[in-house]
Amino acid sequence: MNTHEHYHPPGLQHQFEDMAQQAESDAIGMWMFLVQEIMFFGGLFTVYLVFRSKYPMAFAAGSNHLNEWLGMANTLILIVSSLTMALAVHYAQLGKRNAQVVLIILTMLFGVAFLGIKAYEYAEKYNEGIVPVLGLNAKTDKNIAAKDEHYAANPESQIRNSLDFSGSVENNPDIHAENGQAEHEEYVNPRGDFIWKDITLANKALAEGYLTDSEKIGYMANGEISQAKFQDKVRIFFWIYFAMTGLHALHMVIGLGVMSWLLWKAWKYTYTPEFYAPVEMAGLYWHFVDIVWIFLFPLLYLLGRHFGGHG
Amino acid sequence: MAEHNTDKNEGFHDAEHHIVAIPLYLMVFGILVFGTILTSIVARFDLDFIFPGANTLLALLIAFTKMTFVALIFMHVKYSSRLIWLTAIAGFFWLAIMFAFTMQDYLTRAPGVFNR
Amino acid sequence: MENVNAANVGNIRPEPKVNYLTNGFTAKSWLLTKDHKRIAILYLLTVSVFFALGGIYASLIRLELLTPASDLLESGTYNRVFTQHGVLMVFFFLIPSIPAILGNFLIPIMIGAKDLAFPKINLLSWYLFMAGGGLTLYALMLGGVDTGWTFYTPYSTTFSNSYVMLVGMGIFINGFSSILTGLNFIVTIHTMRAPGMTWFRLPLFVWAHYATSLVMLLGTPVIAITILLMALERLAHVGIFDPAIGGDPILFQHLFWFYSHPAVYIMVLPGMGVISELISNFSRKKIFGYEFIAFSSIAIAVFGFLVWGHHLFVSGQSIYAGLVFSFLSMVVAIPSAIKVFNWTATLYKGHISYDTPMLYGLFYIGLFLIGGLTGLFLGAMGLDVHLTDTYFVVAHFHYVMVGGSVLAYLGGLHYWWSKITGKLYSEFWSKISAMLVFVGFNLTFFPQFILGYMGMPRRYASYPEEFQVLNIFSTAGASILAIGLVMPLVYFTYSIFFGEKAPANPWLLPGLEWRTSSPPPTENFEETPIVTWEAYDFTEESGLDLEDARNKYKVTV
Repeated sequence: MNTHEHYHPPGLQHQFEDMAQQAESDAIGMWMFLVQEIMFFGGLFTVYLVFRSKYPMAFAAGSNHLNEWLGMANTLILIVSSLTMALAVHYAQLGKRNAQVVLIILTMLFGVAFLGIKAYEYAEKYNEGIVPVLGLNAKTDKNIAAKDEHYAANPESQIRNSLDFSGSVENNPDIHAENGQAEHEEYVNPRGDFIWKDITLANKALAEGYLTDSEKIGYMANGEISQAKFQDKVRIFFWIYFAMTGLHALHMVIGLGVMSWLLWKAWKYTYTPEFYAPVEMAGLYWHFVDIVWIFLFPLLYLLGRHFGGHG
Repeated sequence: MAEHNTDKNEGFHDAEHHIVAIPLYLMVFGILVFGTILTSIVARFDLDFIFPGANTLLALLIAFTKMTFVALIFMHVKYSSRLIWLTAIAGFFWLAIMFAFTMQDYLTRAPGVFNR
Repeated sequence: MENVNAANVGNIRPEPKVNYLTNGFTAKSWLLTKDHKRIAILYLLTVSVFFALGGIYASLIRLELLTPASDLLESGTYNRVFTQHGVLMVFFFLIPSIPAILGNFLIPIMIGAKDLAFPKINLLSWYLFMAGGGLTLYALMLGGVDTGWTFYTPYSTTFSNSYVMLVGMGIFINGFSSILTGLNFIVTIHTMRAPGMTWFRLPLFVWAHYATSLVMLLGTPVIAITILLMALERLAHVGIFDPAIGGDPILFQHLFWFYSHPAVYIMVLPGMGVISELISNFSRKKIFGYEFIAFSSIAIAVFGFLVWGHHLFVSGQSIYAGLVFSFLSMVVAIPSAIKVFNWTATLYKGHISYDTPMLYGLFYIGLFLIGGLTGLFLGAMGLDVHLTDTYFVVAHFHYVMVGGSVLAYLGGLHYWWSKITGKLYSEFWSKISAMLVFVGFNLTFFPQFILGYMGMPRRYASYPEEFQVLNIFSTAGASILAIGLVMPLVYFTYSIFFGEKAPANPWLLPGLEWRTSSPPPTENFEETPIVTWEAYDFTEESGLDLEDARNKYKVTV
């Protein structure tokens, strides 16, 4: 048996012969984990790809409605946090505890800022009535008359909704209350449904002749763009938006948990120039989450800007 | 026991303690910020006159460039063993398989899709 | 060469005082163990429970199909029974069986390591498996699930009123168990090999597990996200899988089969690894074409990702895509065929001994050949239109899954039983059992090829009367198969308590796992071994004199 039985460096686990073998295993293991993360997000990117190629105009309309500046701010925040994380690893390699601790705290602060902005965006969507799940939007039911008008103008949406969600009208007795007020409500959305009225982009594409055949099938009824049918497709965009950013935000939350643990360990002078693998592994994870956002930003926020107009 | 790993060519151990200089980190940071602003600006111009979808392609190219810098410098791939390189590339290769083989169905589903 | 009677061979090296089984007897020492061998035992016990449950559902199916009418089970119940048979067997038996039990136990020993690279993650894998399995069992107790194990939309998202969410969650969690196991194996094989254990000295069992782990790592996350999307769709009804509002149900099938076809290779590849071991070792001959078998495993893992569309030939996928997938399905047969040719070439002029594991090995080659070739029939797009969703498909994948994976699993379990438990099982009863399994299996599933070709659809509780004779054959075969599968439970259990003590190397084989005691000590080897021999080396250079082992048997590590 070798001498390592007697000298046992801190952080070396029993199954390894030496620190180099352990560090190598950690690095390969972390990268394998990231590969599975790529495939995990990959499923969602495939869904995005399929539906964007099917309904580009609905995606453009939905995307133009997102707040580009908040998306951009979040991108920059994540890039800064990646820098601070990289520097935290740098100072861990040098064994400088104080710089390490400060940089980990900074990284966490930027992470929290990102999540704060994300939460604000989600709240905005909730108030505007474009969360794609029934009942998960602000319920603005001031004007039952306007609601009736809305459904009268779009009988399809009413029928479909009553088919899909039969029973939910009965579950909301307050629909029938407070009649005849607030004619000027921007949205009338008694059940917190997903509502999308703007079909200008689809009409523009139809007029200028770049609406694809699959879109014509998807958007049109009776020879013209149907608001109800277009709304379904925009809803798919927002569903993908929430699924992708939600999964990304979940990874941020997990990342913050990992960083808290890292902070605690760094605070206690755990990491040395010989043993800093956990900092580096956490860094790899953090950068990976950053990379996902680097793709999400243009694919979700910028995809339709060049079509002009707004959502 | 220095010989536990027989893969001499993996060359990981030499790379392990490579410390990246701070100016390089800052340079990559600059590139990332620049890329973010650039992608936002070019998204405003309609590039369809080049070919349809040019905007998306350009946005993805910028995103790929940004990702490459993050991976190479921030994630130290540049200083890592060939296995790590292979792993990183394999991840995207498999993603490409999923995209390509799913889309080969959708793009050939029916005549007329994508204005053909 | 005569079959050397295991019990006669003395084991010169003294036994270690404490082996992994006697290192602690408390429940805690098992449930919180980080020893890969103990975790393998935990898997063995729990996976066997799922196998038994899946088997009970299979018996119900065969009993119902004894008569043409839907009399034993009403058709709604029948839907649940075959779904649960599929879910339990695929996700909780076939996928974890060989990798998590035999792979977990043997990979570190075969490469000369003390443990896997991440023992805690290994334990976590088992707990995730238990959590996923527990949720699924809970759902089964509440009333089960009736969508078929494939969870096709929009049935699973819109119409089914069974416990789709719970079972989906169970499979989602279980997926991460599989991912972490694969990750652990890959890292272990890369970094934990003993000095001298180069890549081309690795046993082919390890190569097969490396390829399997790649599939686990690259494929399983996709099923996780797919199940998640299906569950969200069921909750929120946004319509991405609902054609009525612009969604696409075939997208679910694409994503599902992106994992689930490669998952077939998760089930088959480790079995191929076991068979390579069995064929070479019981022929007492170096395996023919080592590199070809090793790389064909990797090739199967890679090509396995390019063929999933052959499950969608009749679902609305474009003809062009069907053509490409059909062609690639033919291509994936090549590396499988390479293996079969190499195994048979290994047998040629070998010193074959017909011990129980070797019986399973030989049965495997025949059954896998039938399963693989009928797979080519189904991969041919035109013929598949006729055979889709008939019993031909059922027979085909049972020939691959049972004739392949389960037989390899049983063969491996018999082969390494002495290493795992330190006891010898009854050679007589195990041979009887192997024969019963082989005969019962063929009688069960061969008639189904004919039934399917005649057009009997799968997944129905009732069928026209002209199919009854063949169905009676099938049910009769299933009864024999069941007896054959219950027997190991008895003689294995018996051997643990009353079996003869096993020597370190009962069959006098050169592999590294036979150079440590049976059962091995917790750290696997007294000293880290230094490997100087090639895999399957039956010559002097293996360091063991295997020609006249009784007198000269010695361990050089």
